[in-house]
Amino acid sequence: MAEAAVLPGTAVPRRWWSPHSGPALLAAAPLLFLLVFFLYPVFRLMLLSVEGGTTAHFEKALTDGLYVAVLLRTLEIAAYVTVLCLVLGYPFAYFLATATPFWATIGFVFLLLPFWTSILVRTYAWMVILGRNGIINRFLLDTGLVSDPIPMLNNLAGVLVGMVHVLLPYAVFPLYSAIRRVDPGLLLAAEGLGASGWQVFRRVFFPLTLPGVLAGSSLVFILSAGFFITPALLGGGRVIMVAVLIEKQVRELLNWGFAAALSIVLLGAVLFVYFLLRRLMRSELEWS
Amino acid sequence: MRPGILKAAFAVTALLGSSLVFAQNEPPKPDKIVINDSGGDMQATMRKVFYSEFEKRYGIRVVNTSPVDLGKLRAMVQSGNVEWTVTEIGGEDAQRAEESGLLEKLDLSIIDLSKFPKHLQNRQYVFPKSVYSTVMGYRTDVFPEGKRPKSWADFWDVERFPGPRTMRNAPYDNLEFALLADGVPPEKLYPLDVDRAFRKLDQIKKHVTVWWTTGAQSAQLLVDKEAVLGTAWNGRYYSAIKQGAPIAIEWNGGSIKESAFAIPKGAKDAYWGQKFLALATDAKLQGLYADIIGYPGLNLEAINYTDPKVAPYLPTHPDNLSKQYWVDIAWWNKNAAAMNERWQRWMLQN
Repeated sequence: MAEAAVLPGTAVPRRWWSPHSGPALLAAAPLLFLLVFFLYPVFRLMLLSVEGGTTAHFEKALTDGLYVAVLLRTLEIAAYVTVLCLVLGYPFAYFLATATPFWATIGFVFLLLPFWTSILVRTYAWMVILGRNGIINRFLLDTGLVSDPIPMLNNLAGVLVGMVHVLLPYAVFPLYSAIRRVDPGLLLAAEGLGASGWQVFRRVFFPLTLPGVLAGSSLVFILSAGFFITPALLGGGRVIMVAVLIEKQVRELLNWGFAAALSIVLLGAVLFVYFLLRRLMRSELEWS
Repeated sequence: MRPGILKAAFAVTALLGSSLVFAQNEPPKPDKIVINDSGGDMQATMRKVFYSEFEKRYGIRVVNTSPVDLGKLRAMVQSGNVEWTVTEIGGEDAQRAEESGLLEKLDLSIIDLSKFPKHLQNRQYVFPKSVYSTVMGYRTDVFPEGKRPKSWADFWDVERFPGPRTMRNAPYDNLEFALLADGVPPEKLYPLDVDRAFRKLDQIKKHVTVWWTTGAQSAQLLVDKEAVLGTAWNGRYYSAIKQGAPIAIEWNGGSIKESAFAIPKGAKDAYWGQKFLALATDAKLQGLYADIIGYPGLNLEAINYTDPKVAPYLPTHPDNLSKQYWVDIAWWNKNAAAMNERWQRWMLQN
């Protein structure tokens, strides 16, 4: 930025460099990085899935009851996680955006500390808390509130708790920046025109934060659709997500063609949901 | 001074001479080799026993990496960028690795297998590092003396042995355990009657509260009392027992197999990989290794260097060995893909 500020003052005209080409040049490095380390591997993956000119892998991934069921289940779990993250993340982001600096700092510490801790460590910590003999069940049993331990681990509930814990920051950050951007003047204006508190929120505040909602929910949805270790450990084996099946094909069975096909199908499904979500939100924006 | 100089000159020539001879026989020493193993306790023990000895003997640093990953091995060999000099390979995967051409041939003029069991002495690609067994374990406070489960039939008997169970989230071993529970004699296990095995597994399914994924999980579930009866690799129970957990191992019907090491095809410094495997045949080191971690090596003389107190915890102890069956790796290699798929399908039904 400092360089760009100096440049207009320099006498030597450089045709390849204008103050406007700065952003494009800045984007070039990450774009190149993505091209080499993301797009090219995805392209190779596509090639791998149709290796030998056969579409058999795709046929199997799209017609075999097992893989279809697991794919749908994966999207379903990702949807649950997304909704939970938004419901928990929105008020929290609002708190962070409006609290005094002191409380906002405390809030960020609570958000970031787990974010910087290894997923594996956090997953094992949930085992200690939620287990049959875990802290919560111990307390409930000792106080006589329940007579049998409540199953909170090794089922869908455990997986959701673990995944929401890991993914919550990805929802909070975009929401936070969207909420920060809302012009308080607009809210005052709405109030001045006679809108109730709920109307201000529903008609003015919430629509203005929709870009944050979209960004947060798509981040969380995309990340949770590919989740692997948390469902494997907290689901007790019963909660099967596509990534678990892909890992098995890659590491154990060495059937990379089929693993690639499964990955592409997952990618396609996630992209489909993402565009659907964008469509929905855009019409919501226009409606407001 | 003079004799001193002479002596020094002699020493230098001798040194030069010997290093020349050396150079003819031996490729130059790299400054490090990379050995990939399954990490955790096992890596710590490997370091204490084998890696440090190798470093001392040859002056080559051993860098260790983990985890064991067949997919990564294949990626390395195919891309021609092999990082590992030696790697561990899981018991179920060794044959697949060999058949897929991922391994360098063992140099049996360097690696001396003459003290190993006869059937292992002409190994071509896969070095038989040690053996391990998937065994039944249970909480001794829940099942005290006189009320202990003694067979897979008992494991399946939820009336007499109530409580949550844990098993591995994979078809390996579990199909055999189901058939043994259903009364199939061990010598008639293979080829597995898969339909019968899954029918038997149906009976136990709702009593298995956790299907474990990682080795660390398996024993911890019993330690935390998340389950009172379970399966795990014997060394996992052994270290929990050593730390005082009220757990006992039942060897009856244990699923014994080899844990293998091998040199990836195209490994740099493969010669020093051979040298490392040669060192891993040492009876004394194998005895020490078994003492610490409960996984015995296959040098038949290693038992002489193992603490007699540890011997009952080893799958190769004669009393234990006679109660277990050897996994038929060839059968599994042929059927692994189909069995894994069927296992997931079975998991999805409720």
